[in-house]
Amino acid sequence: MKFLALTGLETALLAIATAGAIVALYFLKLRHRRLVIPSSLLWQRVLERREERSLWEKLRRILSVLLAVAIGLLMVFAVARPQIASLTGAAAKTLIVLDTSPSMLARMGDGRTRWQHATEAAKALLKTGGAGLEFRVADTSGQFDMPFTSDAAAAQRTIDNMRPVASTASFPEVDEAGTQVILISDGVSLPAVPNGVRRISVFEPASNAGITAFEVRSAPSAPLAFEAYLEVTNFGKEARKTSITISGAGPERITRDAVIPPGQSFSDLFDLSKFAGGGIRAAIQSDGDALAADDVAYAYLPLNKKARTLLVTKGNTYLQTALRLDSYVDLSVVDPKEYREDPAVDAYVFDGFAPAVQPARPALIIGAQSVPWLKSPTGMVDKPEFSTWTEDHPVMQYLSLHDVSISRAAKIDAANLTVLAASGQKPQIPLIVASSPTATGPRWIELTFDLQSSDFPSHESFPVFIDNVLTWFGRDQLALPRTTGIVEVPILNAQISGPDGKAVASQAYIDRTVFDAPETGLYVATTGGHRQYIAVNLTNRQYLDINRSTWTASPAVRLALPFFQHEPWFYLLGLAVVLLILEWFTYHHAMSGKSRCD
Amino acid sequence: MPLFDDEFLKKLEYLSIISKRVFAGHFKAERRARRHGTGVEFADYRAYVAGDDFRHLDWKAYLRLNKLILRLFEEEEDLPIYFFVDTSQSMTYGSPSKLDYARRIAAALCYIGLANLDRAYVVTYADKIRSELPPQRGKGRIFKVFRFLEDVTPGGETNAREAFKTYCTEARRRGLAVVISDFMDPAGFQNGIDILRHFRHDIFVIQVTSHEEVAPVLKGELVLVDSESNLSREITVTPGVLAAYRAEFARFGEEFEAYCAKYQLGYLRTVTDYPFEELVLKVFRQGRFLK
Repeated sequence: MKFLALTGLETALLAIATAGAIVALYFLKLRHRRLVIPSSLLWQRVLERREERSLWEKLRRILSVLLAVAIGLLMVFAVARPQIASLTGAAAKTLIVLDTSPSMLARMGDGRTRWQHATEAAKALLKTGGAGLEFRVADTSGQFDMPFTSDAAAAQRTIDNMRPVASTASFPEVDEAGTQVILISDGVSLPAVPNGVRRISVFEPASNAGITAFEVRSAPSAPLAFEAYLEVTNFGKEARKTSITISGAGPERITRDAVIPPGQSFSDLFDLSKFAGGGIRAAIQSDGDALAADDVAYAYLPLNKKARTLLVTKGNTYLQTALRLDSYVDLSVVDPKEYREDPAVDAYVFDGFAPAVQPARPALIIGAQSVPWLKSPTGMVDKPEFSTWTEDHPVMQYLSLHDVSISRAAKIDAANLTVLAASGQKPQIPLIVASSPTATGPRWIELTFDLQSSDFPSHESFPVFIDNVLTWFGRDQLALPRTTGIVEVPILNAQISGPDGKAVASQAYIDRTVFDAPETGLYVATTGGHRQYIAVNLTNRQYLDINRSTWTASPAVRLALPFFQHEPWFYLLGLAVVLLILEWFTYHHAMSGKSRCD
Repeated sequence: MPLFDDEFLKKLEYLSIISKRVFAGHFKAERRARRHGTGVEFADYRAYVAGDDFRHLDWKAYLRLNKLILRLFEEEEDLPIYFFVDTSQSMTYGSPSKLDYARRIAAALCYIGLANLDRAYVVTYADKIRSELPPQRGKGRIFKVFRFLEDVTPGGETNAREAFKTYCTEARRRGLAVVISDFMDPAGFQNGIDILRHFRHDIFVIQVTSHEEVAPVLKGELVLVDSESNLSREITVTPGVLAAYRAEFARFGEEFEAYCAKYQLGYLRTVTDYPFEELVLKVFRQGRFLK
């Protein structure tokens, strides 16, 4: 036996104090009310006659004290909330695991989803639980895993907060031996299930045709010409006629019908050249489809616009050529003496020059400059080599700088800056730095060396670098493809907004932002004026093949319930009430007090 | 409110008339017979029977009728009526108090007695004789009786045996002894009455009780204090105890009544809220008071 509300010592002390107080009060007694009567002659006779049964009277009084003490102790023990294994069973622990994979959203023959059936089954288990049962409710997506509790209402609330999401399924760890584990699932996308787990199946065969791929891309030969790739798969047992619709932000729309054999896929390219930029939505429709979540997919079509770029240079053929070859760049070139900030410019490239005031648009600065908004050179270094660079930064993607030679570079203090490439280990000589990710102004990239003192422009990485820089400066890009559930984007401290435009709670994690995307749609990550679309779709075949289950349910899963359904305190209080009534009849109702003559 | 007011007097007058009307025919001969004796005033004739004093034979009548006729004369002696009123502390309880009720009964019966030219003695007692009114005769003395009863001071324990013994051992003529009390005598109700019986008084007992005694309304843990002896008893009054008390009270009354029946004593029991005039009429109907 153990106590849930008090410790054993506290319970013992309380019991001793209560019993002592009752016995003390019994001996002290309440002061009797004094009443003068004409004559005690007849009362004397009454008491004498009753005292003939004095032995029984004394026994009854002792019984009364014992009953009073017993009532007090019962109430003390009830307050201490004991757990008595022999009465209510040892605190049997039951772990209920709900499969939260997206296939649980499949609709069943009665019109309700597998998930609804699963939650009902879980709640039914909670309701059948007795006093000695403790529940732990967890899901296979790792989002919910409450500790063991006897509070069935709390467990029900946890179930109400759960929902199917697309994430890596994992079975919660079962730490304590003897725990009864019940898994409620459709068996479609199960993690490794330990032995001894009892199963409740909510599987029922159903038809489903779903979008298994949707992507907007451009041909390498024509970067500004986009097309959409769509793949639809029939996971049912019969051929399905499917109507496909691709629509954008404008009136453009592409529709197509396809008959997809069972287990087969239909895929095709759709020309989006007539579509204006913005969100693209692909939708399919087929009769009797059980899973709606995979009938819609989203992508983003970049706005068909070149970035107006102003190159400020005294003359740099390599640089001008690289910029002019970039399909997304609308280049203008001016001499530093003629430089004036232009609000129509989308990005600046300063070659051997930097204005005294930071421009309002992103800028690439080639060669360290002594201006207030940049770190001033503290010296020069000869023949530095690219020894390290951050390949996962968007600016440094797809670059190889091993063979780049630099005859001379400036030394700058890179504190509060992002070093993208450096020479040496200790001390590091920054060669390419970027503005701080926490800076509020426009982004900028600075090379601490001149292109004339390096062979970097002659390397194949140079135009890639220029393209990366201008892309990072905010060029409209394709959406990042993601699946529903926990989504990561490689942008630090981004503000996330959902498909409905409302802000979505997010967290910074190392150099990226993490947020929960329970629904498909286009999400937007924004930071420092830069915007990145994220297309969250449910296209994973693992979740969409809702008939893949080979699972069998355990026969009639029921909880092993103890004989007593309530906690012991309930019975203790009931017994106290019974004793109270008994005490009333043995003492107050039928017993006279002990009489004596003063 | 005075104990004996005009209203009370009116009731007494009414009772006096009622007593004459009810008992005149029924008891007249017997009453006269009791009074026939050695007086000088001729009263009546009756047939001679063996044992009669032949000095009272009417020889003239014998000569005329050839029958032995006895001449009867009025007895000059009156009937002494002793009213013993219990004034112990226990008589002060009840609503109205048992003492007030006893005093009203004593006054009423005394008035009837005085109206019938009987000699009335009023005595108050508790553990001893507390006060005594000299014998009164005639209706006009009733106010003296009223004053005496009004001046009674209650108190003391009940000891009827001692009180009656003291009173009766003095030279008293035999008569009607009316005892008005609750008879809560620790020594027993019969002890005092035995004394009166010993002195061959004709005895009439009126037991006065209050509702609080007949059906007490008590509950819980109590210390009951005897008003006379100040003895206290702790008691837990439960419905069972109350039932036992009521049974004991009934037993007490039955014992008292059986005792009175055994010795042919007049007995009446009343509660204090019972109209006293009705009680007096009951006394008349018992036929012992007016003879």
